[in-house]
Amino acid sequence: MVLSWEVLPESDLREAIGVLVQVVETAGALIIFVGAVWAFVRFIVTVVRGRGHVKGFNRIRLTLGRFLVLGLEFQLAGDVLRTAVAPSFTEIGQLAAIAAIRTALNYFLGREIAHERAELEREAEGEPQRDAGAGPGRAQGAVG
Amino acid sequence: MRAAIEAAALLITAAGVVSFLAAYAATRTIRVALPLLLDFLMAAGLMRLAGDLSWGGILLTVAIIAVRKVAAFGVAEKGTADTGSPHGTSA
Repeated sequence: MVLSWEVLPESDLREAIGVLVQVVETAGALIIFVGAVWAFVRFIVTVVRGRGHVKGFNRIRLTLGRFLVLGLEFQLAGDVLRTAVAPSFTEIGQLAAIAAIRTALNYFLGREIAHERAELEREAEGEPQRDAGAGPGRAQGAVG
Repeated sequence: MRAAIEAAALLITAAGVVSFLAAYAATRTIRVALPLLLDFLMAAGLMRLAGDLSWGGILLTVAIIAVRKVAAFGVAEKGTADTGSPHGTSA
């Protein structure tokens, strides 16, 4: 008598991981979509208000970049899950290519965000000095 | 699922084009407007890549990212050259 008993059959495991990958990747895509919609709405508001365009656009891009990085992290998590069931070399190759793209993008986006943030901070530090420098002149103008 | 992702990516692309045109109309500066468009295009490309394990999809995304990087570099270089020249403008 052959006793065959599996705690978790391979087909069920594949199915379960497939569902998990779908959920995680959908969450990543949703985060990217929400970020893009949010950035678009903020962008339209900035254009309509019509003040501090360049600075406002940079702030919006910075936030959109953060959303993209977060979405990418989710998608990378999906890739890692997928490696649990990758039967063919073709699929493994495609998975490696996508993971490489996402990792490189994550790195470059992180660098861009750091750069933009440093620029915004530099501008913010420069503004009070400029205001302080312009203060007496403005005060004289107000008196005169 | 795939249809929804495709539709969302198309929507983001359209939002990017509108943003680019509005930003260019507002600032008359390509250096400010172009990165906006490229950011939206990249978001669309990343969305398309979700769940799409095909070489075509991968190549398309790589192409978009490469174009984005080259364009951003070119525009930044142009901006640096313009602001560095005595009679330069920010455009």
